[in-house]
Amino acid sequence: MKTIRQSGRDSRLVAVLLASALLVLEAAVPMTRGQDTSAADTIKELQKRIEELERKVEAMQRSNAPPAAVPADSRVESLDQKVRVLERKNEIEEEAAATKAKETPKITIGENGFAMASANGNFALQFKGVLQIDSRTFFGDDGVAGNDGFLLRRARPILQGTVFKDFDFQFTPDFGGTGSPQIYDAFLNYRYRPELQLEIGKFKTPVGLEQLLADRDLLFNERSLVTDLVPNRDLGVQLHGGLFGGTVQYAAGIFNGVGDARNSNNADFEDHKAFAGRLFFQPFKKGNPALQNLGFGAGGSYEELSAGSASGLPSTTGGTLPGYATVGQQQFFAYNPAAVQGRTPIVIADGQHWRVSPQALYAYGPWSLLGEYVISDQRVTRTVVAPFISRELQHTAWDVSAGWVLTGEDFNFVGGVNPRHPFNPASGGWGALQLVARYSELNIDDQAFSGFSDPTRSASRAQEFSIGLNWWLNRNVRVGTSFSHTIFDGGGTGTGAPGVVTDNPENVLFTRVQLAF
Amino acid sequence: MDPIRFVAAVLLGATALSSPAKDITLLNVSYDPTRELYQDVNAAFAKKWEAKTGDKVVVQQSHGGSGKQARSVIDGLEADVVTLALAYDIDAIAEKGKLLPADWQKRLPNNSAPYTSTIVFLVRKGNPKGIRDWDDLAKSGVAVITPNPRTSGGARWNYLAAWGYALKTLGNDEAKARDFLTRIFKNVPVLDTGARGATTTFVQRGIGDVLIAWENEALLSLKESGKGEFEIVVPSITILAEPPVTWVDKVTNRRGTKAVAQGYLEFLYTPEGQEIAARHYYRPRSEAALQKFAANFPKVTTFTIDEMFGGWQKAQKAHFGDGGSFDQVQAAKH
Repeated sequence: MKTIRQSGRDSRLVAVLLASALLVLEAAVPMTRGQDTSAADTIKELQKRIEELERKVEAMQRSNAPPAAVPADSRVESLDQKVRVLERKNEIEEEAAATKAKETPKITIGENGFAMASANGNFALQFKGVLQIDSRTFFGDDGVAGNDGFLLRRARPILQGTVFKDFDFQFTPDFGGTGSPQIYDAFLNYRYRPELQLEIGKFKTPVGLEQLLADRDLLFNERSLVTDLVPNRDLGVQLHGGLFGGTVQYAAGIFNGVGDARNSNNADFEDHKAFAGRLFFQPFKKGNPALQNLGFGAGGSYEELSAGSASGLPSTTGGTLPGYATVGQQQFFAYNPAAVQGRTPIVIADGQHWRVSPQALYAYGPWSLLGEYVISDQRVTRTVVAPFISRELQHTAWDVSAGWVLTGEDFNFVGGVNPRHPFNPASGGWGALQLVARYSELNIDDQAFSGFSDPTRSASRAQEFSIGLNWWLNRNVRVGTSFSHTIFDGGGTGTGAPGVVTDNPENVLFTRVQLAF
Repeated sequence: MDPIRFVAAVLLGATALSSPAKDITLLNVSYDPTRELYQDVNAAFAKKWEAKTGDKVVVQQSHGGSGKQARSVIDGLEADVVTLALAYDIDAIAEKGKLLPADWQKRLPNNSAPYTSTIVFLVRKGNPKGIRDWDDLAKSGVAVITPNPRTSGGARWNYLAAWGYALKTLGNDEAKARDFLTRIFKNVPVLDTGARGATTTFVQRGIGDVLIAWENEALLSLKESGKGEFEIVVPSITILAEPPVTWVDKVTNRRGTKAVAQGYLEFLYTPEGQEIAARHYYRPRSEAALQKFAANFPKVTTFTIDEMFGGWQKAQKAHFGDGGSFDQVQAAKH
């Protein structure tokens, strides 16, 4: 198709050709004078008209011509700037969105439980839990009734959180065990700084090392005999913190005071308060990797109990009277003095009670070692039957535990084992295996058998030998099987605990399935 | 030996083992363009402090628009020190966050401003749009890059520099000054949140004909471009900017870092600190450093915030508060 320019050129050519043709004709054909004059006028008229046509063609061409072109560079530059501005605005919006995302509350669900937190972390809520289902089978116990079976050992939902950045809280009820549900932890902790924190409520007393370790991270399904002599949870207030970059941990508090292995009720009223404190050192925490998880220290407690303090004696685990239990949760010693003149005396905590516990642990790679020694020195009084007698009884216990993760993963006393290949048969993952072994013993003061306990039924010493295998399917699920063999000195008569328990060594096969997150 | 005495002896020995030299961390919350400055300051100070005390100091940095940074500190960002673009932003931390005393500015020399800067124009090589002074920024067809005064301290200095020029040349008429700023902001295609962002827009993204910038940012851009791609134009009159520094008492008291935080800021006033500032194109307070680096700094005619606006409190309220002149300028330009 012709452009306007080409059409214009064609028109001009036509006009020129016409004019040329007429001029040729004029030259080629002679005219008469009369005829000459008429032809000349005609030619002149025709020329005039051709010139007019040419002018019109030119005018037409001018009016159809495209407008004067804008310099291409300027347009391109303008467009380029517009594109750059749009891109930059988009970039700024993306940066703003990324900043806003940082301000958005975070919700996480994973192996550490379910957690939500404000963007700045000042407010946080975490839901965790521990579920332990046990199977216990006792061998060679001459048919002691009612000790084999399945048990919901612990069923603890744990609610932890932080408000206003510096205030932490925890609430832990327990629906497991053989008693009614109870509150295990209910405390508030103010973190003024890492070195100085104030904790108030019900929480673990800072004395025993094994007691202070989380249930989920223990080497064995049950704690050793040593834990019989230390307090469990109590109501009180304590200062605690980590000094020198966390290489020194300290805790010092005032509590209501509880007996050995005992858990405080929600309201224990005792005029005389107990002091408990602990110092624990990890001097190489930031140094040599081989020694980073070496820790040692000591805990202790002191209280003056008034006569008749209901919670001052050890717990009644496995029996009806205060006493000490095996790892199989069977009572082997009780404050069960024999009848005098046909009447049954009652032993009460009465006076001073102090404890001291040097302790240490070490973990490196798949290896772990834990050791603890406890002295529990308590004044007790035998009442009901005169003459009342009082004695200061000093019981001692110690233990050594060791673990070896056969599959090579690291073990940590806080966190346990994180299997390299979590259990998933389809992909060939079988979790991690840990071999554990322990020896512990508890020695009863000989003076306890001078009127405070029946030596024919209560043992004067228990020695525990345990071996076990923990199968860590993943961070959250563990199956632990252990065999514990406990032998007793003394006791061994009677039909109920502790006599029937101490009649034969205790052999118990423990299997526990644990879910902890 | 009595077991309790034995245990006590072991514990005492372990305590002696566990008291090494300290590792200290400080957080310096700063405004946008000071990254390079504080990288060098932090390294020099850490060396000096370790030599003096044996403690190792690591200063972590946070950078952003000055106003935005101040709000972050008020909302809980644990700054041991703040080194912001203008005193008003630190006043806000004192007043709204109650994190330091109201008279913080008296604690260090020169109203707690160890260095100063000013506002200049950065233009493209050859100055194709012929930018000479503030008037040229208001002309049609000139694209001006400046950050958002709502978030950027540098942007507020820019804005007040332009306003001050307008008052001086337009018979001290506020309405005419507002109209002048409206025409300038009509020419602003992108509003970054901070001064460094605006520099990125102009220098790296190639947007705009002129960047209103901190002098130190402009000089740094000249140095880094290396190929003569930009030129600095010094306007006939501009504002003297005095970015202040201080420690945040509530945070340093709680973290036990007051001594080192104060020492860190006092280091900025030492000959070494002043030379580092000058090398990074901040005008030092020290005459000796200023003489040594005189070639870095062109001659400028300036006015101060106090002279022109009666101080930051008044300027903030009149121009950058809700309904202030900047809001009116933004509304008028649409």
